[in-house]
Formats: sequence, structure tokens, C-alpha cells
Amino acid sequence: MKKYAIASLVLLAAASGAAFGAGDAAAGKSKNSMCAGCHSIPGYRTVYPDTYQVPKIGGQHASYIVSALKAYKAGDRKHATMRAIAGSLTEQDMNDLAAYYADAK
Amino acid sequence: MKAQTLLAATLFSVAISSPAWAAGDAAAGKEKSAACAACHGPDGNSVAPDFPKLAGQNADYLSYTLKGYKTKARTNAIMNGQAATLTDADIANLAAYFASQKGLTIKR
Repeated sequence: MKKYAIASLVLLAAASGAAFGAGDAAAGKSKNSMCAGCHSIPGYRTVYPDTYQVPKIGGQHASYIVSALKAYKAGDRKHATMRAIAGSLTEQDMNDLAAYYADAK
Repeated sequence: MKAQTLLAATLFSVAISSPAWAAGDAAAGKEKSAACAACHGPDGNSVAPDFPKLAGQNADYLSYTLKGYKTKARTNAIMNGQAATLTDADIANLAAYFASQKGLTIKR
């Protein structure tokens, strides 16, 4: 009996973990106002600290977007604006935004 | 008078011929891209989700990224090694090649 209880708990944890990990593209779209100011404008250039066109992110792998946002948040990737924005995001926000941007259309 | 005109013309031509990022040669970049293809896919549309897609990315962003890896301003165990031996011309050519492929988009 105890074994069943533990097994079902483990199963439940696994199932809910997967549900949490998956992003919701519709939710991501509603959270992207901070992204769109730069990443939605064709040819938009950063001016500080270096000048280059901001990267295209439509169609990028969701897991790569999440890992990039986490690296900015942790300070492993250096970009003042992205660090500030990523720092304000929860892991669920990151997953949702990644799900939205992963679809190239 | 003539010297001034010449000076102005020279300054102007320097200004227009020195964009922030040198334009690369996509065909030369393709020849140099075999090492990239293993992870990023032959045209930059990587299959493995841990490796970013490069296809269609802005050329100057790709150059900025590779230069960052080369100087270790950006750190990544794989990419620091890959970028270490690339010349500025290699970087410009690779950037031109992957930028010319179809892939990434700008979303609203």
C-alpha cells in the first residue's frame, strides 16, 4: 500500500513537472511587450555597449531561448538590458516566451 | 583649395567604405562552415534544441557573437575553441553565409 502511494506520488511529481516545464505560447505572447521593443523591429540596432542588429529570435529553439534568458539572469551572459529584463522573469515566464518565439510564424 | 577638396573626398570615401562590420563573402563562408554544421546544421537550421539556429540570423549579430567567443568576452566551452582560430575575414564570411540562409524570423 505504502509502495503504491510512493509510486503514485513520484508519478504525480513527474507529470506535474513536465506540465510546468512546458511553456504556453499564448501566455508568452501576452508577456512579450518588453521583448518586442527591440526584437520585433526589422533592422533595430543596439547602441550600447556595442552597435549591431539585435538578433532574430522567431523560430529559435525554445530550450535555447530559455537557456539564454537564464544565462542573462545569472550574469553569465553580459548585456545590461537583457540582464535587467531576464532578471524580472520567472522560469514560467521564460518557458512561455520561449514557446511563443519558437514558432517562426 | 584643391587640397581641401581632395581631403574632403578622401574623408568621405573612408567614411562610406568603413561600415561597422565588413561585408562577408557568403560563398567563402559556406566553404568554411563544415565545422559549424556538425552542431548547427549545414544551413544553420540546427536539429538539436540545445544548439541555436543560425540560419537567417543578422550577419552583424553573428559577427559580434563570434568575435565575443574569440576574445572570450562571451564564454562557452565549445565555441571559445571553435572561434579561436577564425580570422576577421572568416568571421565576416561565415556570418554572411548563415545570414543568407532561410530560417529565423522577426516576430511581432
